[in-house]
Parts: sequence; structure tokens; C-alpha cells
Amino acid sequence: MPDLTRRSLLRASGAGLFALAAGQTLSACSGDGGSTASSGGGAATGKITVWSWTTAAAALRGIVPAFQKDNPGITVEVQDVGNPAIWDKITVGLAAGGQGLADVLHIGCDYLPGYLEKFPGGLADLSALGADAHKDEFAKGLWPVVSGKDGHAYALPWEVNPLGFFYRKDMFDKAGIDPTGYQTWDDVLADAAKFKAANPGVYLIGIDKPAASSPDCDFLQSLMQLQGAFYFDLQGNITLGSAQSINALTVIKRLNDAGLVGDAAGDHGWSNLMKAGKLAVAPYPAWAVHYLETTFPDQSGKWRLTKPPAVTVGGKRSAIVNSTHLAVANSSPRKQAAWKFVEYALTKPASMNAMFGAGGVFPALTAAYSDPLYQKPDSFYGGQAPLQVFTGLLTDGADATNYSGDYARALQLASDAQVRVFLKGADPATELRKAATQLAQQTGRKIAS
Amino acid sequence: MVRVSSPPPRRRIWTRRKLVPYFLLAPALLTFAVFKAYPILDSLWISTTSGAGNATHSVGTANYQRLIHDPLFWQALRNTFEILIVQVPLMLALALLLALGVNSAYVRWRPIWRLGLFMPAVTGLVATGVMFGFLLNKDNGALNWLLNGVGLGKVDWLGSGSGARMAVVLVLTWHYTGYNAVIYLAGLQGVPRDLYEAAMVDGAGAVRRFRSVTVPALRPIILFTVVLSSIGTLQLFDEPFILTRGGPDNATLTVSMYLYENGFHYFDFGYASAIAYALTLLVVILGVAQMRLMGDREK
Repeated sequence: MPDLTRRSLLRASGAGLFALAAGQTLSACSGDGGSTASSGGGAATGKITVWSWTTAAAALRGIVPAFQKDNPGITVEVQDVGNPAIWDKITVGLAAGGQGLADVLHIGCDYLPGYLEKFPGGLADLSALGADAHKDEFAKGLWPVVSGKDGHAYALPWEVNPLGFFYRKDMFDKAGIDPTGYQTWDDVLADAAKFKAANPGVYLIGIDKPAASSPDCDFLQSLMQLQGAFYFDLQGNITLGSAQSINALTVIKRLNDAGLVGDAAGDHGWSNLMKAGKLAVAPYPAWAVHYLETTFPDQSGKWRLTKPPAVTVGGKRSAIVNSTHLAVANSSPRKQAAWKFVEYALTKPASMNAMFGAGGVFPALTAAYSDPLYQKPDSFYGGQAPLQVFTGLLTDGADATNYSGDYARALQLASDAQVRVFLKGADPATELRKAATQLAQQTGRKIAS
Repeated sequence: MVRVSSPPPRRRIWTRRKLVPYFLLAPALLTFAVFKAYPILDSLWISTTSGAGNATHSVGTANYQRLIHDPLFWQALRNTFEILIVQVPLMLALALLLALGVNSAYVRWRPIWRLGLFMPAVTGLVATGVMFGFLLNKDNGALNWLLNGVGLGKVDWLGSGSGARMAVVLVLTWHYTGYNAVIYLAGLQGVPRDLYEAAMVDGAGAVRRFRSVTVPALRPIILFTVVLSSIGTLQLFDEPFILTRGGPDNATLTVSMYLYENGFHYFDFGYASAIAYALTLLVVILGVAQMRLMGDREK
């Protein structure tokens, strides 16, 4: 049946072209880029739209009435785009030269450097609008994150997440251990047998070992950041295979070998372990204060918070694990108005704390911490004032982290290395050095010497 | 008397006759040009650039050279072919069996069986992902409970490389077997009854009738499903994306997923386009090879 054969062949080649469907989408996204008109222009009045997600969007919405009252002529619409949907929307918008973007964009520290590197001119230069006046008002280590290579600011810090060590006091009490005495993770490991004997079936931390839903490297990154290190140094060279990175993954391997890491595979793996009371430590940053309290109300009174142990003897015990920011799209015809809203929301202690109260977004603005809110005892934490622990950690200072434009690749490779350590007992040093070489090959970046 | 009107001048007929089809085709051609041809050609150009947005620059064939030396691309390709080799024959054999079953005059309530067969093909992918996430759970999933019940022990479906690949094969088979069975069913119903009757008169048993009547009659349809399923598997994206995200340790990463990651996670549109063209080349080669191998024999 030659006829059928020919028709099927056409179909096959048609389907071959169909394989390019993704290519089509890509090409649709590769427009010649944004308007490179210099920042500083744009109307000072009119309607501006803001893209954010969930509780943060709700928090922003809360200050809109006050802002509109103080700034007649500007109306604000806050849209909850959802996370992670917001990243695709911003990426596609920037790639299309700013078309369809909102005026104000809420962007995480993991995406901001990528947008700045790959879409120059996509975000408005806020220094030109007067952002530099606020440079010293935010927690240490955040200004380099919002600055581009030219030293100008392209966003203002909103949320900062200093690392904490949340622990189940009841479980440690049972084992006769006081975690506030921990200086390093070695001390934690030294107590492993004692802890396990007193709490059978309980793990210290939960990690998605096979990375079944997405890379689960928050803990690994925290351990790197406690040493002032990350996947990249501030110059953008690769440090994924550095001694600090190897230290970090080695701590995780030792914890796992000691039976202290529970497998939190899948989307709900971690919260299921938590709900079942099988985790004694949450090595999470400030957002967890609100999250633990609202998600696991039946564990009220059992949790406490202290400084995270250092990775090496005498090492640092504070780190900023991540931050989020508000930026203005360069394509916005109302940049002045958008900037006014960003400045109003993020540089006034009253509006920052109103948003913190509404959405649990821990403020980057240090002036906000003088509010009595930060001294308030919390019954979920047995009457401890958890926010005070975090403001104390922020005054200790933290190093800036360079996520770089290739964070997503680095994260994937680090996650693959961690998965091999978990599932195959692989050697951390070998895996991380291999990952660093691969990252260099994929990105053309140099490996830091 | 019938009045016959004089025919319009010959030239006018010709012009009009020549133009009409083009007028009719114009919307389709225009849509094709704008939404298919242009993006396809444009992505060829993009595959020779690096960077994204307004920071792109030409790099010639560097993306293709990089592809050749990229271990993750080769792993994705190997994963895709491993899934293809196991899944397509398994699924099509199962589909043929099921089609024979629901075509048999001995089976009652055939429409209900047919509907049941086709249901998975119309189930939403997100629902499928959630459902299989529950079924394949290592500790309290139904499948492991079943395996445990017959003394086979638990499988870490999503936590081990081989388990995850089996899980993807399982989901694909569940999702598309009914679809192929319906195609076979249509084919079976087109096989002339008298061929079977003649075979029976000649004393052929059920197996012989299947081998000598059914399979030859279905050959073009089998070829069609083999080619379509192979192409579909080469472009595999949705199922591993919702089920395993390519993990663990890239054991279920497919070429399409790697393409997507490079484009939309890493903003590396040039490299992603190069992967798209490599994939297209593979699809064409595989399609032609299958046609040669299976299609020629019937001549």
C-alpha cells in the first residue's frame, strides 16, 4: 500500500515538525527585547498593577487604601498571580520586550539576577528614581543582591529570611539534651544515639531524598551560607565544588548515615512527616514562624527557636537564606507612580509591619524591628518571642549571596549530587566536584580557584 | 426554446478559476505561515545564538557542538529510548489483545467495555499525576500493598531510577492503550467477514485465523500506531514531568523535558532550540526507518 506509506510518512514528518512546537514557543519568546529607554521617565499618576503571590499579595493589598489616600491620582491593583506561575509570566513578559508585564513585580532573589543578566533593560533602574537614598536601611547583605553589574539598584528588598533552628523541646527534653548549647553540627551528631534512643521513629530533619517533586536543597544551601559560601562567589565564579560546599554536603551525609534524616519525598512528604510528629528540627528561616504555627496548631507549646549551629568550629551562626523584592518593569508607562508605591510599601516601618502582620513576610527594613510586635511572646513557642531571635540574628550580619543568572542550573546539579549521596551513598567531594565541572561546561563560567 | 446566455469571455473564467482556490486556501496558508513556518524557521536561527531577550549574540554551530558533548542530553536520549523500547511494544500488544476482546461476539455489554477502555485517554494529566502519585507511594500506595500481598515485596517506585522508569512506562501504558485499542477496533471491524469464513472452511483455528487473516489485514494500521506511538514517546514530556520531574538523579529525564528546562528554567533559548532540532532529526529518522522496515514488506 504505497499510498498509505506515503501518507504516513507525511504524517511522520508532520509530527517531526510538531516536535518543534516547543521551538516555536521559544522563538515567540525571543523577541528583540525590551525598550531600552532610560529609566526615570513615565507618568506619576494613573492606574498601576502589581504582581505578587498568595499571602504576600494579600499583604500588599492591605496597604493600598492608605497609599491611595496619600497619593491621589494613583490607583493600585494587586494581582495574585501565584507561585511558581509568576516566574513563567515574568520570563515570558521580559522576553517579549516587557509586553504584558505589570508595573510592579514581586521577584525572589533566585530569579532577580537571572532577569538582570538575561534581560538587560527589562527592569527599571531604581537608582535613577532615587532608590540609593534607602541603601543603608535594609538588613546587611541585601543591597548587593538588588544591584546590577553597574552598581545601580533594580529592586528594593522586601522580605528577608534569616536562618533559624526550630526544635521540638519535648523531644529533646526526653533525651536530656538542650539544643541551645549546640555550637556546631558536630555537637548535634554526637547526640544522635541518645536522641534516637529516647525518641524511636523520630528523625531530626526531613528532606525529599529522591527530589521527587523538586530539588530540595534548602538545607544544603543554608549550610553553605552559614560558611559565607554558595554555588557562586560574588564574581560569579563557580564554588559548587569548594571546601565549604563539600563540608555542607558531608554534614548532610553524616546526618543521614546516623539515621537522622527522614525521607520527605513528594509534594506533601515533609508536612506529612511533621503532622505525624516524626520531625524534631525545622532548620528553616523566618517565614516558618508563621507557617509552623498555622499549619501544625496541635503542636502548640512544643516548639522553640534558637540560633543555628555552625558548620565548622568557631564558624558563623547567622545567614540570610533568601529574600524577595519589588521591582518596576522598564516597559511601564507609569514608572514614577510604580516607584512611589514600591517606596511607600518598603521603606516605611508602619506599612512594612502592617504587611508583616497580614502575610508573615519578614521585613528587610531594619527600622521595622523597633515595633513592640518583635518582642511579643508566642504561646506556640512556649511563650518565647521568636521574632526577637531573628532580629538578633540579623544584627549579627550575614554575607551577601550571589545567586547569579545560572542559579537554576546550579540548583539542579547540586540536587542531583545530593540525590546520589542519599540513594547511592556516594562521596560528597567527588559528586560536588563533578557537578562543578558540569556547571562550568554548561554555563561557560570559571571554577573559582 | 431555451435561451442560452452567451458564455463570459474565456480569459475571465481562467483568472477566476485560478484565483478561487487561492482565496479559499489563503486563511489556512496565512495561519500556517505565521504560526508554524515562521516560528520553525525562526527557531532554527535562534539555535545559532546564545543568551536571551535582548542579550543574544550569534554563536554559529556552538550550541550543536555543545549538544554532542553534553552528558545530560545523552542521558535524556538514552532514557527516552529505553522507555520507548519497553513501552511501545507492550502497549500495542496489550491494545491489540483488548481490541480483539471487545470485538468478540462472545463478550456482552461491549459498548461499556469500549467506553471503559477509552476513559484513561481522556483523563486530565494533572488528575493522572495525583492518582498515580497515591498509587505508587512507597509506604502506603495501593500498588505496593498489592505486591506485598502476593509476597513480592515493595518497590520504591519514585525513589529509585529503575522504579521511576517503570512507573513512567506504567502511566503511559495506562493512558494510551485504550486509545490504540480503539484504532485497532476500527481496523478489525473493517476486515471482511468472508475472509474468516473462508479460513474456517479451510480448517484454520483461532490462532491461525489471527496470524493469517487478522494481522495481515491490520498491518497498515499497526504500522500507523507504531510510528505515531514512537514519535509520541520521543516527544515524551507530560507524564514524567508530573510524576517524577525527571528524577531521581535524571533517571526519567526525557529530551523534551531537557529542552523545556533549558528554555524556561535556564533561559537558554538558543540551546533549547538546538535540542528541538536534534529531536526533530531523530523523529524523522525513526519515522522513515520504521516505514522502511515495516511498510516495504507488504508490497
